[in-house]
Amino acid sequence: MEITFVFVVHYMIEERQSSSGKVVFHNEKLGHKYLALKKPVAQLKAASALNRILVLCDNTLTLLNMFDLEPILSGAKVKGVTCFCLNETPSRGSPFSVEICVALKKKQLQYYTATEDRLIHVKDISLSEPAVSLGVDGSYICVATTSQYCMVNYESGHMQDLFPFDSETSKPLIRRISKEEFLLSGPSALGMFVTSAGISQRPPLQWSENLMGVSYIHPYIIAVNDEFITIHSILDQQQKQAIPFQGGSFIGNFDGKMFVASQKEIYSLVPVAWEKQVQSLLADKRVSEALDLARNANRVGLSKDKFSKVFRRFEQQAAFIEFSQQHFEEARELFKEGQVDVREVLSLYPRLLPSNCNFTRSVPLLHEIADVNQLSRGDETVMKEYRNFLRLYLEEIRGTKDAVGYKQEIDVGLLKLYAEVNSPELVPLIAVDTGCDLKDCVDWLEKYERHHALALLYKVHKENDKALAVWMRLINGDIKDENFLGLDFVAEFLANLSDHELVWKYVDSILVKDAQLGVRVFTERPAKEPPSERLRPEAVIDYLHRFPEAVITYLEHLVFQKKLEKEKYHTHLAVLYLDAVLQLMKENNVKKEHLDIARSKLRHILQMSNLYRVQLILGKVKQTDMYAECAILYGKLEEHDKALRILVHKLKDYGAAETYCLVNSQGKDPSVRKRLFHILLSVYLDPSYEQRDSLVQPAVTLLNSNLSEFDTVKVIQSIPENWSVSLLSQFLMRTARKSMNSCRNIRIERMMSRGENLQVTQNSIEMQRNYVTMNDDRMCAMCNRAFGDTSFVRYPNGVVTHVHCAKNKHVCPVTGKLFSTKQS
Amino acid sequence: MMAETKRKADLKVIILGDYNVGKTSFVCRYIDGTFQTKEPTIGAAFFLKQWGPYNIAVWDTAGDERYTGLSNFYCRNAGAAILAFDMTSVSSFESLWARFIPLLDSALENCIKVVVGMKLDLLDSDRTREITIEEATKFSREINSNIDISHLPKDPYFETSSLKGSNVTEVFEYIFNHCVPLTDAEKRVAGNTGIVDLSKPVNDGAKDKKKCC
Ligand SMILES: Nc1nc2c(ncn2[C@@H]2O[C@H](COP(=O)(O)OP(=O)(O)OP(=O)(O)O)[C@@H](O)[C@H]2O)c(=O)[nH]1
Ligand SMILES: [Mg+2]
Repeated sequence: MEITFVFVVHYMIEERQSSSGKVVFHNEKLGHKYLALKKPVAQLKAASALNRILVLCDNTLTLLNMFDLEPILSGAKVKGVTCFCLNETPSRGSPFSVEICVALKKKQLQYYTATEDRLIHVKDISLSEPAVSLGVDGSYICVATTSQYCMVNYESGHMQDLFPFDSETSKPLIRRISKEEFLLSGPSALGMFVTSAGISQRPPLQWSENLMGVSYIHPYIIAVNDEFITIHSILDQQQKQAIPFQGGSFIGNFDGKMFVASQKEIYSLVPVAWEKQVQSLLADKRVSEALDLARNANRVGLSKDKFSKVFRRFEQQAAFIEFSQQHFEEARELFKEGQVDVREVLSLYPRLLPSNCNFTRSVPLLHEIADVNQLSRGDETVMKEYRNFLRLYLEEIRGTKDAVGYKQEIDVGLLKLYAEVNSPELVPLIAVDTGCDLKDCVDWLEKYERHHALALLYKVHKENDKALAVWMRLINGDIKDENFLGLDFVAEFLANLSDHELVWKYVDSILVKDAQLGVRVFTERPAKEPPSERLRPEAVIDYLHRFPEAVITYLEHLVFQKKLEKEKYHTHLAVLYLDAVLQLMKENNVKKEHLDIARSKLRHILQMSNLYRVQLILGKVKQTDMYAECAILYGKLEEHDKALRILVHKLKDYGAAETYCLVNSQGKDPSVRKRLFHILLSVYLDPSYEQRDSLVQPAVTLLNSNLSEFDTVKVIQSIPENWSVSLLSQFLMRTARKSMNSCRNIRIERMMSRGENLQVTQNSIEMQRNYVTMNDDRMCAMCNRAFGDTSFVRYPNGVVTHVHCAKNKHVCPVTGKLFSTKQS
Repeated sequence: MMAETKRKADLKVIILGDYNVGKTSFVCRYIDGTFQTKEPTIGAAFFLKQWGPYNIAVWDTAGDERYTGLSNFYCRNAGAAILAFDMTSVSSFESLWARFIPLLDSALENCIKVVVGMKLDLLDSDRTREITIEEATKFSREINSNIDISHLPKDPYFETSSLKGSNVTEVFEYIFNHCVPLTDAEKRVAGNTGIVDLSKPVNDGAKDKKKCC
């Protein structure tokens, strides 16, 4: 027969850090106690709150004093116990007691509250089979019976079967993982997660066979069998490590310290600091595992700020790992989440950082990448992908908070990338709020021959002279750039340029190439530009001398658009128009419509303007057969007879003659119009004109015209004797009807006036017929005082007041009633 | 990748069926959109899917007979069950009745059971259909006597191929539309979201924790 001696031994274990940083343990035996029992200790548990140790030995649960190991003999004892479990998370914990669940041999659980010297029985729970293992959390007890696991709520008594399990073939293990969640050893060596609700929220883990014990230290599950210690992560349920360990028989987590025992020895399992674990996962390029672990490290030993700093650094390292593996999507996310300094990224691309940027990579280095050339190893497509990635990344963060402080670096980087591939984004990048400086961008743009962009960059930096110099070279064809928008663009630029010296410097080249375009530099100035000495119209006109067409356009601008009322401009323009007409007339084979256009322009200014020197023009026009122009000029001189004679005799344009009368009387006294029509009529009827017969018809037409106006008597007097009445009948009838009509209108008006007069008289009589009695009792309706003299005011509604109390005769002072202003 | 999730699911869908009928391939086709040959499942596997505002837990069980005891446990509170069989194997169809239907006792009372024939593509090649559509349809009606199937858009029977990707999404949407129907507004939003990123449980977990304190 085997003889067993039962001792409880008390050690103190001290953890020290050796000078090399290694953790060493120092232990010291403090005492021991011999228990006079014949069976080995089955379970031992400290209840520190009570300074007691719970011992299960020979199916009896007893208490020992934690320091001297003396038994507590005051009846704190339960018999027939197979196992017990301390509730570390009681739902109603008292600091002076601990709660214990006990499994009895006889298909029953008992719940106790333990104090320093007593075990107080709280509850019994019956089972269908005896329990072999227990776990407790809150109000829940997870029980392994001989054939299955079940979940018991000891408060409500509710019991739920979980799954079958043969406790004969393998050892049931129950470990609390988190609030109301347990990990159980299941069939086929599965680690099953079970919640108090009796379901699972995580997939099972695959353990090895014959586990002796299992423990949990976030986020790892540590299990021992007689060959290995295995470590699984609760995060992905995968095995992370296996440590050979012979004869493992026990493992436990004691306030965060892991101890594992073989038959002979006890070891401490010291976890590698999570930061180190993460670091080594990163070293293996296991990025997502590393970050998952870091995220779930529960910031062990770190303040929130410190943790997020550490975590950010991991993200940054991870970002560069993904980057180096061309996992661009992941890299981009991590660059952003880890708030990587954009210059760290830019510095991987040779020469993309601005040359004045004295950036050095952060130390300790986030990565060991030299540059993207190293990563792409000369592979063009990979290189392209890297550049593409950078472009997208910069575009994405540009203008966001990640870009604060690095606008120049980002924009210069983008400029360089765009310039290389001639991206259409290049121009907008420069044009709109750019952070690109001149320094190395100029060289870069020159190198890639993005001349137009270069000029724009100069412009943005107010170096207009340099910008224009580049554009001039583009215009002259010295250099080429398909993005250059041509002469128009430069003309427009000059038109808006406030530096007038530069305008003068460069406008000539444009005028030489295209005078009409060049003159737009002067005609399309910004509306709000203040007048300047350098751009005085006289100066411009003088300058434009070499470009006659340009002068005309410019004068047209001054006269028609700016409406400058200066005789000089008007005369000049009229003269130029006239010269153009005369020139055309001199030439042979001129198309008629060209001449017509030229003359209509001339006529337009002659007619429209009143400022030019009429005599000067007339002198020239008279020498030609430009009768229409002549007529206009005479008109301007008020020599209507002459003008109309030209129109009638020379041009035989009777319509024009009639229009002349209307145009020249516009906006003037009506008598002027009549006078002009009479002049025209007299021209028609002039007896001295040899072809006068031909004018009879126009004269009649004029008389019958709806637009003409005449003095009928005068007309009748001037009509030749020999005209038949029928010739005039239409005119006469119309005249008669007109005067009849006005005669009747006047009569109607008169009768209506008389009626109105009668009405008013009647009203007046009616009002005066009413009498007002005035006596001593009559008081003023306003001031309520007696009337002192004979005059008073009476309102149409009968209110009577003093004269001085009647402020407004249209408003009754008492009722506020309004009386029509007409009636009174 | 499977990872920690402590988020409470709004619907639990369980996939049952004999080993090797293609259950894991079926879930992977739905979640990842790809077909990869998988090892036989050990115990069970777990996937989370976002459907509008709902979190849906999809449990893929192991078909091997030694896990039958666990499957019963994993069926607890299931709101829907996919009963999978291999269309070229009579025995896989028969074991649905014999082994798997009883497991669903622990599922919710109104659990919908969808019978799904797997490996439809094999019928195109040399393999012969072992179970007729009529047989399977009849079976699918019988086992759903706990719910009113007249409201369903069709019989709870599908023939699918994870290899080709045919009819896979339809099965899940059939289930979701029955168990957690979306409003029109939710449908529009659902169009944008795909699968929940299980590698980022911390933020959500933290939120949840706060809620319960
Ligand atoms: N031709 C074809 N083969 C399939 C299809 N689906 C699955 N398979 C194959 O069937 C075999 C089993 O697939 P699994 O998805 O692992 O089967 P399972 O039901 O999960 O098996 P257990 O996990 O052991 O229960 C694999 O070899 C798959 O390649 C399918 O639609 N067509
Ligand atoms: Mg499987």
